[in-house]
Amino acid sequence: MSTTTAAPRDDAAPPAARRRRRPDLRLSGHGVATVLRLELRQRVRSTRWLVALGVWVAVLLLVTVLIGYALSTLTDGDAGGADGVGPVVFDAVVTLVLTMGLLVSPALAATSINGDRSAGTLAPMQVTLLSPLDIALGKLLAAWTASLVLLAAATPFVLWAFTRGGVPGTALVSTLALTAVTLLVVCAIGLGWSAVSSRLASSVVLTYVSVAAICFLSPLVFALSIPLVLTEERVTVREQDFANAEFDEAGEPIGGEPPCVTREQRLDVAHTERTWWLLAPSPYVVVADATPRAPIAAGGGPLSVVGDGVRAARQGETDAMRDYCSGFSEEEFIAEEQERRDALDRVGAVWPWGLAADLLVGAVAVAATVRRLQVPYAALPRGSRVA
Amino acid sequence: MARGVRRTFRGAVAVDHVDVDVPAGRVTALVGPNGSGKTTLLLVLAGLLVPDAGTVRAAGVDVVANPVAARAHVGWMPDVHGTWDTLTTTEVLRTVAAAYRIPQARAAARVEELLATVHLADYADAPAHVLSRGQKQRLGLARAIVHSPGVLLLDEPASGLDPRSRVELRETLRALAAGGAAVLVSSHVLAELDELADRAVFVTRGTVAAVHEEVQGSSGGAGLDDGATDGAVAAPPRRYRVRALDATSLERALSDLGAAAAPADQRRPGTLEVDVADDVAAARLLTALVSAGVAVTSFAPSSGTLEAAYLGLDEQERR
Repeated sequence: MSTTTAAPRDDAAPPAARRRRRPDLRLSGHGVATVLRLELRQRVRSTRWLVALGVWVAVLLLVTVLIGYALSTLTDGDAGGADGVGPVVFDAVVTLVLTMGLLVSPALAATSINGDRSAGTLAPMQVTLLSPLDIALGKLLAAWTASLVLLAAATPFVLWAFTRGGVPGTALVSTLALTAVTLLVVCAIGLGWSAVSSRLASSVVLTYVSVAAICFLSPLVFALSIPLVLTEERVTVREQDFANAEFDEAGEPIGGEPPCVTREQRLDVAHTERTWWLLAPSPYVVVADATPRAPIAAGGGPLSVVGDGVRAARQGETDAMRDYCSGFSEEEFIAEEQERRDALDRVGAVWPWGLAADLLVGAVAVAATVRRLQVPYAALPRGSRVA
Repeated sequence: MARGVRRTFRGAVAVDHVDVDVPAGRVTALVGPNGSGKTTLLLVLAGLLVPDAGTVRAAGVDVVANPVAARAHVGWMPDVHGTWDTLTTTEVLRTVAAAYRIPQARAAARVEELLATVHLADYADAPAHVLSRGQKQRLGLARAIVHSPGVLLLDEPASGLDPRSRVELRETLRALAAGGAAVLVSSHVLAELDELADRAVFVTRGTVAAVHEEVQGSSGGAGLDDGATDGAVAAPPRRYRVRALDATSLERALSDLGAAAAPADQRRPGTLEVDVADDVAAARLLTALVSAGVAVTSFAPSSGTLEAAYLGLDEQERR
């Protein structure tokens, strides 16, 4: 029996970990397709997905019916159409679909990587010729496909709302497309957290928190930042001269409506043109702003209100004069609205910025995933084993 | 294959200055108690962990500097057996074949061949979650050899297997080694490693304690020297253990007969090992000893040398 004891070798090659290794950034359609096929097969064969889809459709159906019923009742049974409740219904349904998508999508991707790690199926993939980018993109596309299936199941309801009338056809396309892209970003965020955190529960929670932050927190911060951009300025105001009018006991002005006068006042002006970008990343803002408006006479739903509000925020208070006097007749009202809308359209669109910001966040998440998947590992995240 | 490998985890040294050679065509066993760094060493060799120091070469490729190229030559079977439960065995192997860039035409044939090799052909279309533990292990082995690697690293492949499966596993591994692969098996199960392995590397607390170059088994090793392949060896010399009531008379008798003897087992002094040409020569030696008046109490082929060596090592460590 021969025995060899190893002696320390100080003249060995330089420490491997300290040499900077080039990251493995290979990408191949074949690799991505392999991972995608694997993931989709697993998803399809899990028993729950059909039930989940059924519940999804049922909830959407219920709420859409309620929306339709409620709105037609509120407008005294209007049949819809261009001057009816159509756009409001459309806006409401689109908002519903977007919200449901944002609620469900994170769960589809948030356990991709760390679920595989705890099941012991990640390392066997990493020792093959698959590259980290293959694995990351394959999983992202699989999660996005699942989200798109949910979106497709929701499309009939959006179509129904669209047929209530009053909404331009491009609105249908833009809302669905932007919702799809938003879900892609959400899946990317979920994938990123699943690669970074080793516990399943924490990655799911972090994904939901991230989505909530983008959707609601940034607009909230915008609202809270308004006091920071308030300045007192001299503003020209044209308003009815209530101050110098006299009123009888019933509160009616004596001698008819007070005349309109123009005077200058010192008022607080919110310079939101400096902070409008805080509003932009929220998917609601992106979808709302990108949707073409319905004709003025049709009124507007929540989306158009949001869209207008966002553009107005970007515009800031540019009017040198605030006019509270005119616009009491219908024609005047419509003309004024049209003028206001044209002005808003001239202000740059908000949604491309928001979309770009969201896509950037998604790209960062995917990059983090690829970085975590590089093998050989130099350092392991806390609390995880390689295999 | 590996030189001076060192790997720490948060200040705890898992593997320290390990040199391991895994020659082609032979089965090498990596033996050590739990926590001795076997799994860590295998992870480094497979290219999943970067060693803090040292180099690893597999089939001539530097695993750390060029991991992608190395992976094409290395097959790894983890000790935690995870598989995609909802896929059938054929799909599992097809997926892994695609991951190794084996063209589809060849992949189908290869998968069938693999399933036959690991005796899972009957389960070709069964989902993986119906497989028993032993069958899953076999699937894991098949998964590791899809791309016919030159180097095969197996982490505790026999854990949880019934004796029949162990025998089958042994046959498969020996066949792979005979086909030219360099096989490294980590295990605690010493009794079967005797049959399975040609060489043994003992690891304790992250360092290589000893390398046992030739392990006597029924199928025999290639020879006593490291790496020396004697071309025409008719039959490997057999090693026998002899015990007698009186150790000195045994020694004297053996040296009279011209048989080289060496003390074998330090736990039971008086046990001597002799090398004989074959079984016939062994019988003749026994007859000669008895005729010479030596009171022989035990005369049997030497096996369990691995176990003896391991336990001896372990005792040294624990002292």
